Amino acid sequence: MSNPLLFLTPRLVGDRFEGHAIPLEMLKDLAALEALIKATAIWCYKEATHRKRQPRGFSDQICLKITEIKDGSAEAQIQLYNYTDQLIPESAQYCEKSRELIIGAINAATHDEDITSFLPPSLLIHFDRLGRNLQENEWIEFDPKNLTRKAILNQITRHKLLLASAQEEISEKLIQKGMIPAADQDNETFELQLSTGRKVKVFFSAQHRKTILDAFIEYDQGIRVSVEGIGRYDKKGNLRHIDSVEQLNILDPNDISTRLDEFRDLSNGWLGEGKGLAPNGAGLDWLDEGFQTLYPDDLPLPYLYPTAEGGIQAEWTVNEIETSLEINLENHRGVWHSLNMKTDIENSKKINLANNDGWQELVLSIKQIIGGGK
Amino acid sequence: MSPETKLFRQIHPSWIQGGRVTSQAFKPTPKDEKQLSVDDGGQITPPDSFQHFTEVLKCPSCGVMAVTHAECSEINLDVIPDPKPYPAHTLIDFSKLGTTQIEKHAKVLRSKAQERDWLYQSQAPVQPRGQA
Repeated sequence: MSNPLLFLTPRLVGDRFEGHAIPLEMLKDLAALEALIKATAIWCYKEATHRKRQPRGFSDQICLKITEIKDGSAEAQIQLYNYTDQLIPESAQYCEKSRELIIGAINAATHDEDITSFLPPSLLIHFDRLGRNLQENEWIEFDPKNLTRKAILNQITRHKLLLASAQEEISEKLIQKGMIPAADQDNETFELQLSTGRKVKVFFSAQHRKTILDAFIEYDQGIRVSVEGIGRYDKKGNLRHIDSVEQLNILDPNDISTRLDEFRDLSNGWLGEGKGLAPNGAGLDWLDEGFQTLYPDDLPLPYLYPTAEGGIQAEWTVNEIETSLEINLENHRGVWHSLNMKTDIENSKKINLANNDGWQELVLSIKQIIGGGK
Repeated sequence: MSPETKLFRQIHPSWIQGGRVTSQAFKPTPKDEKQLSVDDGGQITPPDSFQHFTEVLKCPSCGVMAVTHAECSEINLDVIPDPKPYPAHTLIDFSKLGTTQIEKHAKVLRSKAQERDWLYQSQAPVQPRGQA
């Protein structure tokens, strides 16, 4: 085996790659990159030689390995290892050509040029896996030394590459919430009923079986799950099914995000007879964030309802005490009212949820009513 | 109208979570001028009240809950027939109350109605399970 050659130095950019670190999840994408390089090399060989098959062991002559991660935010040093006695085996030569074409295709996607002049649609299918795990505000620069004309793979360019591919469907990471009205243990599939009532087929593996059955049995109680996995979409962006499940969790019945999401489709006049302002999306995001970060897990989650004025009303029923907090999503102010249904003792006050002190006051007030106070 | 007469209130689908109704369902909205619309249970059945609300008035509802005339009287809320829109239409009058008192009375009525449970429920999709 001859000395390895520095082959590619993709630069991964984004918060997750700071400190020249690459999350393990991204190794799937880099494995997909190797598959694309080798498949493209075979295609180049066939194109150049007009042969229908590549020589036996063509792909096994070489191997791509990450040997180092340099800062920047994380620059993977990928070396090409040669497992033959030849100084430069034939497959390595075609891999060099393959690399240029892949960078060319990504470059074309970055600059809205013709992608298929570099790679045929059949090879572009590899971008279904390559880049899938990139999050918003993350990208890979495939030719980082070229400062004037960057080849950037992010979710936007990945979509362009896939739209130019021969594939009818596109896979994406997703988190989807819903209920489980049906499950097929033999085929390891279940139906996920979305909030719209639409049902999506999900393929699962054995480790999730018990959770699925628990949620299925309690379907008529409205139990909901959160599914994190790989969704398969048509080219118009419609979810067709969920290919695989990575995380599956039963949600708290009063899960804040799920409940607030139900209000995003409300439009003005939702109450009927011209009444009911729709809550604004930014306000719902703010409230969701507030409950996720400033409201302790060990306190009871409130019931949430939209108000006629475009706000949200949170309500708790604890120890004979009925409590409401009417929240204005524009100015982030809340009006608290609690009533002890036995003693008739009331408490009314304003809470400013625009700052952390207001959230602490809310938390203390809930703790008080749990403790039997007013 | 007798003390036992039920006063039907339509419940908007977004005002129910896990089977628990919000106190807002028993509180006039700002456009209601402190008058809460209900139907007189002595003149109409819960299914007919629902049908009238959703099909004639074309407003969204997932079912019918109720408080009684007596339960309103106990907390000094007047119940006023208002047959102008349609014969069974009735108003619960909150006009003598300030904001905090309205909140309190809405909570009391909500509690009574929730205890009584649904008088009529449409074939709505399953709702998420509640805690209480």
